[in-house]
Amino acid sequence: MTDTKSLRRHTGRLSLGLAIVAVPLLLALLGPLFAGDPGPRAVSFTLGGGHWLGTDFVGRDVWGQVLLGGRTVVLTALAATALAYLVALPVGLVSALTHLRRLEDVLMRPLDVLLAVPSLLLILLVASVFSPGAAGLALLVALVNVPDAARIVRAAAGEVAARPAVEALRMQGETWWRIAVGHVGRSILRTLAADAGIRLTGVLYLVSTAAFLGVGVAPDASDWAVMVDRNRTGLFVQPWAVVVPALLIVALTTGTNLLFDAVLEKKGRRP
Amino acid sequence: MTVGGLRSFVARRLLLGAAQTVAVVLLVFALTEALPGDAAVALAGDQPDPARIAAIREAMHLDRPWYERLGDWAAGLPQGDFGTSLTSGRPVGQYIADGFGPTLLLAALTLALLVPAGFGLGVLAARHEGRLVDRLVSSVTLAVYAVPEFALGVLLVTVLALKLAWLPPTAVGYGTDLLAHPAALVLPVLVLLSRPVCSLSRLVRAGMVDALASPYAAHARRYGVPGARVRYTHALPNALAPAAQQLARTVDWLLCGVIVVEALFVIPGLGTVLLNAVAERDVPVVQGLAVVFGVLTVVLNLGADVVAHRLTPRAAVAA
Repeated sequence: MTDTKSLRRHTGRLSLGLAIVAVPLLLALLGPLFAGDPGPRAVSFTLGGGHWLGTDFVGRDVWGQVLLGGRTVVLTALAATALAYLVALPVGLVSALTHLRRLEDVLMRPLDVLLAVPSLLLILLVASVFSPGAAGLALLVALVNVPDAARIVRAAAGEVAARPAVEALRMQGETWWRIAVGHVGRSILRTLAADAGIRLTGVLYLVSTAAFLGVGVAPDASDWAVMVDRNRTGLFVQPWAVVVPALLIVALTTGTNLLFDAVLEKKGRRP
Repeated sequence: MTVGGLRSFVARRLLLGAAQTVAVVLLVFALTEALPGDAAVALAGDQPDPARIAAIREAMHLDRPWYERLGDWAAGLPQGDFGTSLTSGRPVGQYIADGFGPTLLLAALTLALLVPAGFGLGVLAARHEGRLVDRLVSSVTLAVYAVPEFALGVLLVTVLALKLAWLPPTAVGYGTDLLAHPAALVLPVLVLLSRPVCSLSRLVRAGMVDALASPYAAHARRYGVPGARVRYTHALPNALAPAAQQLARTVDWLLCGVIVVEALFVIPGLGTVLLNAVAERDVPVVQGLAVVFGVLTVVLNLGADVVAHRLTPRAAVAA
């Protein structure tokens, strides 16, 4: 394969990922600005009558709901990913850089144990006792992502921390902070970026699946996943109320995955 | 690799598995303790009449200290005694027995199809590396990999069940005897397969591509070993170890998938039992199912780690 050909193919995949993710992302972030007044409720599950995509299970305009329904999914997923790293980064860095075996055990062993619990199960368990809102869902999804993220940070940082450069910095009397953040932290950025892409895709999956199962959302919330769930009863009469939000979720998750895959390939692995 | 090395790895891994099992049991139990205020009042929720609160307190023995309840509950678990439901008063074990059949059928069918489909696609893509088939398989698996089951499922139902009317849209009316109605199983299994097949085939492809480009594969070809034999007896075994581990990781996914798919296609399995119990805040049923699912995951992951360790003794498997 010639260089120009592979470059062209790569640019193609990059723009494909961008194009797929752009539609749901723009709708999610800018949609609420254009949604306007909800207007009076009409008959449920009808087509036409001034409603571009018909009405939903309680007679709201489907297009209006589509405009409103992406924000929670996207923002909850972004917050959960950021929160997971907020905990995983210090835990992973400290346990990679410490010389105290015991401290490392105290930090990492509980996480190994947490890894055993299936993620959706943990979310449902908590949801059966508390009724978490969107913030609670973000916290929960972050929590189930911490063990794996911390292990990856620990593995990547441990490899860098064993290099002679770090020993030299230590002997020079550099502060722990400068070694950990300035050198080790900077060296593992690429690994972290790759992991963040995979993690964001997984978080989007969990957040939307939890919302579909009714965790962290009101039963009539304006949320794409909730729309898919609640409007299923009218699938025979009014498929648009289900198909449009489902397609948007597919585009969002697929596009994110394709985009990160293309971006990371350019930066890393292959020259 | 010495036998002692394997044994000590297995011993360490077993210890971790035991710790994980204990942690699952403790975590599940801690849930009721975490309830703010009086647990019985909190669980009564929308119907806070005194009789119901008293019934909940009675059923969960809330008047006794927590360590006695934990001891009793944990002692009952190995004997299949999971307590009684708050809403119906039936034993939790009966709920689990009722829902077990359909879920086991779904999981077994999915696993049975997952292995040939995942390996087939992976080998196919690796054989045609860089060509159209490979790019097609790689892009499609990468794209489908990320899609939540409910979104894919609902779209498949709309097209295949409603527009084309090839398959029934749900399993409503078939009860627990799903094997008698194979048409109702096609869509659920297809949806369940979507994500694991993608991840497995990508791993097999990557492993095969690496193995086929390795010096020993080139050497075998120079000796005139036929291509098929190089592929299947030399290269494929080396792509197995990461795949075996991925197979265990898919248990987590299968579990998530089963819950969603049962809800989507109205299949009366364990996932449906769990979701109903969550909606009704029937804590003993949720706890019983969580222990079963959690321990199952621990055991399967343990098995896969040991198998993967056996396949690649030099790779350090975390334990």
